[in-house]
Amino acid sequence: MLKMTHISKVFRTDVVETHALRDFSLHVAEGEFVTVTGPSGCGKTTFLNIAGLLETASGGQYLLDGEDVSSLNDFQRARMRNQKIGFIFQSFNLMPDLNLFDNVDVPLRYRGVNAAERKVRVERALDAVGLLSRKKHLPAQLSGGQQQRVAIARALVGEPRFLLADEPTGNLDSNTAEGVMELLHEINNNGTTIIMVTHDVVLASRSARNIQILDGRIIDDRRAQPKAA
Amino acid sequence: MEFGPILRSLLRNKLGVLLIALQIAFTMTVTVNAVYIIDQRSERMARPSGLDEANIFHLSSVGYGNNFNESVVSTEDLALIKALPGVLDATVMNAIPVSGSGSSTGVGLEPDRPETSVQTAMYTADENVLNTLGLNLVAGRPFTSNDVRRGARDMDRTQSTAILTTALAERIFPGEGMQAIGRTIYNPGGGAIEIVGLVERLQTPWAESSFIEQSMIIPEVVNDGSTLYMVRTAPGERDRLMMEVEELLAAQGHERILRNNRSFEETRENSYRLDSVMATILYVVIGTLMFITAMGIVGLAVFSINRRRKQIGTRRALGATRPAILRYFLLENLLISGSGVVLGALLTLAFNMFLVQTFDMPRIDWFYAPVGMLVLIILGQLAALAPAAKASGIAPAMATRSV
Ligand SMILES: Nc1ncnc2c1ncn2[C@@H]1O[C@H](COP(=O)(O)OP(=O)(O)O)[C@@H](O)[C@H]1O
Ligand SMILES: [Mg+2]
Repeated sequence: MLKMTHISKVFRTDVVETHALRDFSLHVAEGEFVTVTGPSGCGKTTFLNIAGLLETASGGQYLLDGEDVSSLNDFQRARMRNQKIGFIFQSFNLMPDLNLFDNVDVPLRYRGVNAAERKVRVERALDAVGLLSRKKHLPAQLSGGQQQRVAIARALVGEPRFLLADEPTGNLDSNTAEGVMELLHEINNNGTTIIMVTHDVVLASRSARNIQILDGRIIDDRRAQPKAA
Repeated sequence: MEFGPILRSLLRNKLGVLLIALQIAFTMTVTVNAVYIIDQRSERMARPSGLDEANIFHLSSVGYGNNFNESVVSTEDLALIKALPGVLDATVMNAIPVSGSGSSTGVGLEPDRPETSVQTAMYTADENVLNTLGLNLVAGRPFTSNDVRRGARDMDRTQSTAILTTALAERIFPGEGMQAIGRTIYNPGGGAIEIVGLVERLQTPWAESSFIEQSMIIPEVVNDGSTLYMVRTAPGERDRLMMEVEELLAAQGHERILRNNRSFEETRENSYRLDSVMATILYVVIGTLMFITAMGIVGLAVFSINRRRKQIGTRRALGATRPAILRYFLLENLLISGSGVVLGALLTLAFNMFLVQTFDMPRIDWFYAPVGMLVLIILGQLAALAPAAKASGIAPAMATRSV
């Protein structure tokens, strides 16, 4: 599914050179739920950005779904993000001026799906997160947890194979976070591969696989024992 | 296309959008009506006077001494002027076309009913007037020296000949103006005037007059103390001859002063000076308004893009290509400009109705509003282009930045 080999990422400014990722190699198989932990500034978001084609690596090789993405241009990367990847952000990143329906609709419009099908899929996605009845509401009229559920609906509406989440529960209280986590596990159980960055060690300890990053390097890659049914 | 969401999103930010749309509407209203006024004015300015404008100049001679004999001097002067190489012809007249001053009278078919008479400019000149002014005789004959009456201001005018413009003849004889040769018309005072010729065109002395094409020339030389010479030269000789003629006449040593030595073009230009000054002012107003509006559009676009950097990054993350972001902001601008110009079209027509009613101008042609709408929409798109291009360069990684 995702295969990174010797990936590095350097940010250069006039003053400093930051090595955000160094010799970063990772393989994630289809259907996995991987959590990523590490101290602030260790490179978690950078890893996610490269994995999600939001940024390009400075070196190394990255195969997504078997395809070497380093040769893709900006336009092709946008298409690939739209078709294969769903994003969930810490601060939800909903469009404040659009109602829930229009928010969830955004990726489908960029995919050029026709209006009738978009309506069916948007409503199904909103229904899946329990917010269909509020489709005409604006994000500001919702609680944080509800907004994140809308963002999840938006990430899922295009049925991506691959879901990337950057601290999705970081702005939520623990009860609400619990609900969001349940939703993500449910999505994972339906076959979607998930990589989730988190600060929360408790949440991380519950996932099947946890990666720890320090200073741009993987220092621990731990798989939990398969849960007894 | 994202027409619906952009529109709904704009409707949630009404104030800024409304202000720019109003500004666009106002700019369009002022621009279209100003262009319309300029067009009207330049159409007026472009009307031909009927004269060979480029090759004519005039010069006045005013006597003061007791020994000054106007009749003798003017005959001498004309002979001297005509003898100069490069001079095609010369005459004495009472007024200069389109100069702002001259005399008018009424003429009609019945001597005792001045209320039925038609208004006309009245020029007096000697028999060389057609050739000197370069007028185009379309019917009848030119004046001969026998036609020309000479004398003081109060000479007998019971019987006279005249050359009319076709426009005047058509007013007096509706539908049969061209058959006016040989017919007699009357001055309010009772003088009978036989029409001997028709010229295609000769404007009155007043650019603003409502009867600008209605003129009549009477073959008459009046000695009233001041003589106006009109001189026609070969092409390219005018400016040289203006100086030579004045020097030559001054050298004769008569007790008179020579003044107002000007080309016809300059005199005509002076008459329309207000029109051209107004056109310049209106162009400056239009340019300034357009510039301010364009800056307003740029400002609104830059502001709304900076406010939405994270949103734009998020859109990119969700699959928007660069062209899609560019299109988004151009489309947004199109919607704003579109509502502005629709409102602008209504305001334009309302303002034009006001102009028509207040200043008695003709109604605006239908195509002014659509052309104005198009121009402002293009202006809007051009103004939005740079900010939109900048927005499309916002990195997708902006979506995950924690600020
Ligand atoms: N666009 C950038 N320009 C310069 N430095 C950056 C940029 N993005 C991230 N960094 C740096 O790279 C390092 C890793 O950042 P990040 O991946 O955001 O860490 P984390 O998400 O783990 O907190 C940090 O030192 C950060 O300052
Ligand atoms: Mg981070």
